[in-house]
This record gives sequence, structure tokens and C-alpha cells, in this order.
Amino acid sequence: MDEQKSYYVIDPEGKLTCHKCGVPLVKANAVFGYLDNAFPVELPVCPKCGFVYVPEDLALGKVLSVEKVLEDK
Amino acid sequence: MSWRVFAETESVCPVCLRVIAAEKAVGEDGYVYMRKRCPEHGEFSALLWEGDFVDYLLWNTAPGGGNEPAVTSAAEKGCPYDCGLCERHESAGCCVLLELTERCSLGCPVCFASAGEARRPDPTLGEIAALYDMLMARGGPFNIQLSGGEPTMRDDLPEIVRLGRERGFGFFQLNTNGLRLADEPGCAETLRAAGVSCAFLQFDGLRDSTYMALRGRALLETKLRAIDRCAAAGLPVVLVPTLAPGVNADEIGEILRFALAHAPAVRGVHFQPISYFGRCALPAPERRLTIPRVLREIEAQTGGLMRREHFAGGGAESSYCSFHASYRRESDGTLRALPRRTGGCCCKSSEARDFVAGRWGACGDGEPEDGFDAFLREANERVFTVSGMVFQDADNLDLERLRRCYINEADPERGPVPFCAYNLTARDGRALYRG
Repeated sequence: MDEQKSYYVIDPEGKLTCHKCGVPLVKANAVFGYLDNAFPVELPVCPKCGFVYVPEDLALGKVLSVEKVLEDK
Repeated sequence: MSWRVFAETESVCPVCLRVIAAEKAVGEDGYVYMRKRCPEHGEFSALLWEGDFVDYLLWNTAPGGGNEPAVTSAAEKGCPYDCGLCERHESAGCCVLLELTERCSLGCPVCFASAGEARRPDPTLGEIAALYDMLMARGGPFNIQLSGGEPTMRDDLPEIVRLGRERGFGFFQLNTNGLRLADEPGCAETLRAAGVSCAFLQFDGLRDSTYMALRGRALLETKLRAIDRCAAAGLPVVLVPTLAPGVNADEIGEILRFALAHAPAVRGVHFQPISYFGRCALPAPERRLTIPRVLREIEAQTGGLMRREHFAGGGAESSYCSFHASYRRESDGTLRALPRRTGGCCCKSSEARDFVAGRWGACGDGEPEDGFDAFLREANERVFTVSGMVFQDADNLDLERLRRCYINEADPERGPVPFCAYNLTARDGRALYRG
């Protein structure tokens, strides 16, 4: 868990910084791929290394719903 | 006829409704029957499964257990006399019917609720709010079916939906004959805006003779107009044919093709093989429509587009109460069967509830879409569901199945009552629950 958290830093105002590159994440278009499907979505991305920050509510919300549809769960 | 008995259960006498022992047996024709004997009224038998005995056994994929209602009442007289739900009931609710009126704009020869001439005034908004509160206290929220009578006879449906949404109910299917949706411009828009999730549209076929037999009126043009109006309003439609042998069992393929041609406005077809309870002017035939027969008809009448092996039985209720298959309409126009939902998933009523809401309900709340939203909406619109529910009547009632029923009627005094108990009638029309 500690290692995962080290990919980014959240300051007291909630702004995200890439831990590795030390630069602020910026909103950019990212594309999720899963089971031959691509999902364009706007998320905080590190402009230097391309790290994409996925909020927990997105992962447990819409992403999970999409997985369920694709896997017919 | 010689019989091979393979299981025992309990049922009721179709004449006096007393509980009697029943056995399940394979007849000489290889099909599965229920046989029972009332000490006063003699012997009865009913066809349960017009198919192979091994298939009958294999159909049972519901694991059972772990799906008990959150709140129950004490059993005194026992099943089916104490429904509401009693401590012996085995399945939590999935969908609950709210009977909003006894009035109806049709007087069908066939009606489980015997609706038409109202014997009682419509429940008030306060009484409906109390029903919602009762359901929340009994393990809600459930999917709500706005039913009747004909629910669109009421002008305050938007308020009724609002009362439910305020209390945490999220899915409302309108069990309707479609007359008002067809005849009143703006009706579908109003109901969609009020939060109705889908129109559960009585749609028995594509021949007026079918509507004459089942509804007493030629209604095809009206039904088509109702679908068009719902489509324009973004109110999803599920077509609900009552299937009667000798009337419209030969229209199954036509109905499915019609529904597919009208997807995604039409989300699916939900067949209801006729049961002989409530008001039923049709005589019970020698062979009632059972699950394997309906599936054979689906396969034959769609030319193999939809096949028997695409279908599975229920998971959160008795497998023998329902069947379903889901398809994805591919962009090249072909139809792909989605994996069957058997064993290990959708075995709880809450999962079945969400599944139904996802497959039949409207989606999107007007907010901007990202890739996931667009996918989910499109995926939802591309999925086409074929399902059915086989209700029980006094001839084929199996109390083991009844104890696993997850379709309930909201009764102000008793609480949630299993549908097939609530609508049970003796051969002389006497009802166990309906006053």
C-alpha cells in the first residue's frame, strides 16, 4: 500500500503532484482499455511521465460497472 | 398412465384451497407432472414441465439459502395462509407491486387482478406513502411495479413516484395497458420526467384477433402508438405478452422480431404464460405452456436466432418460476448471446433487483458523459433481454416454489405477500387474499 501511495502526493488543498517527477498533475484525456474496449475519460495526468490518477470513486463506481457489463456479472 | 414419482411437496386443492400433499412424477410421455389428491374433491394433475426429466433436474441452478427476507412475521397457520412474509419464507423481495387503483380502461377477459369496476376507492397518497414506509421497514428498497387496475387511470402518478424516490426507491416500472400513453400526447414525457424507469407494456402480439381474445378489443394500433410515444419520450419499453395456448403461442417469434426491430426503445420482452387465476375466461387447456415448451417455441419461431441453451432459470427465486437470456445487438446487426447468469451470481434478490433495473431502466441523468458513461449507456441500449415468469395457480401451486417467491404485492395490513399467494383463486373464483 505504501508503495502505491508514493505515486502521487495530495497537498492540503487537494492538489495532486506526481511523486516521481515532482510536477503537478493536469487534467488530460486518458484512455482505459479493457477486453478490447477503449474508454476515453478526462483525468489528472502527469505531463512528464504520463502517470494517471484514478480516483477511488471512479474505480469503484463506473469502472466497476463497466467491468460487470463486459464480464456479464 | 403409469407414473414415476421422484419428489414430494405440498400444494392446495384447486376446489377448496386446503393444503394437501402433492407428488412430482414423470408420466408415460416423459413429461413432469404434479399429482395430488384432496380427500373431499378427488385427484388432480397438472403439467409442470413439457420436456425431458433430466433437463428438468438440470434447470435447477438456484443454490437456495442465504437470501432470506430481512424482516418476517410469525407463521401460525402456515404456507400459504400466513403470507406477509412469514418466517418460513426463503427469499427476500425483488419487485413489489403497488396496486394503485382497481379502475381500468379495459375489461379484459383475462386479468389476474380481476380489475375493472372499482370495489374500493383508490388508495390516497398518504396510504401509498405508508406502503412505501412499510416496505422500507421490511427490507426495502425494492423495485416497484406501479400496478392496478390500470395505474395510468390516476393523474397523480408523478407524485406517487416522487413519494417513493424520496424514500429511497430507485426503480419504477409502470405495468400498463398503454392506452393513455398512446392517446394522450405528453403522457410518456411527463412520466419519464417524473422518474418512471420503464413502461412494462401489455403487448400480446401483432394480430388484432389476439387482442380480441385476451383484451376484448382490437388494440394493435394503440399499442404501436404507445411504443412510438415512449420511444420519443426516452421512456424504455418492455413488451409483456400474456401467452395463451391456442391464442398467441404462435406469435412468439413475431413478437421477438418486432421487439428487436424497435430496440433500444424496446429493451426486451417478458413473456407471461397464462395462469388460471383471477378473472380468466379461457378454459385451462390439456397442455399449459411450461418453460421448456416456451423455449422450444422461441427457438423454432426465431429460426434458431435465440436458442434454448441461451436461457437459464431464476437464481434468487425458484429456478422453475422464470427464464431469461440476454443478448447484445452488435453493430453489424447480429445478435450475440451473453453468458448465462447461473450459479454463483444473481442469487440474491438484491442482485436480481439491480440486474433488472440495469437492463430495463432508463439511464443517463442529463449530466455530461465521459467514456465510461457513454459505454454504459450504449451497452445498456445494446442489451436485449428475453425473459418470462411462470406464475402458479391452484392447479400447479408448489409451496416449495411459493416460499422462494420474490415478487410481492404490498398489502397494507399483511405486508409484502407473494404474488402467487395473493392472486390465488379456487375454481369457483374465491380468492385467498383478495377481498
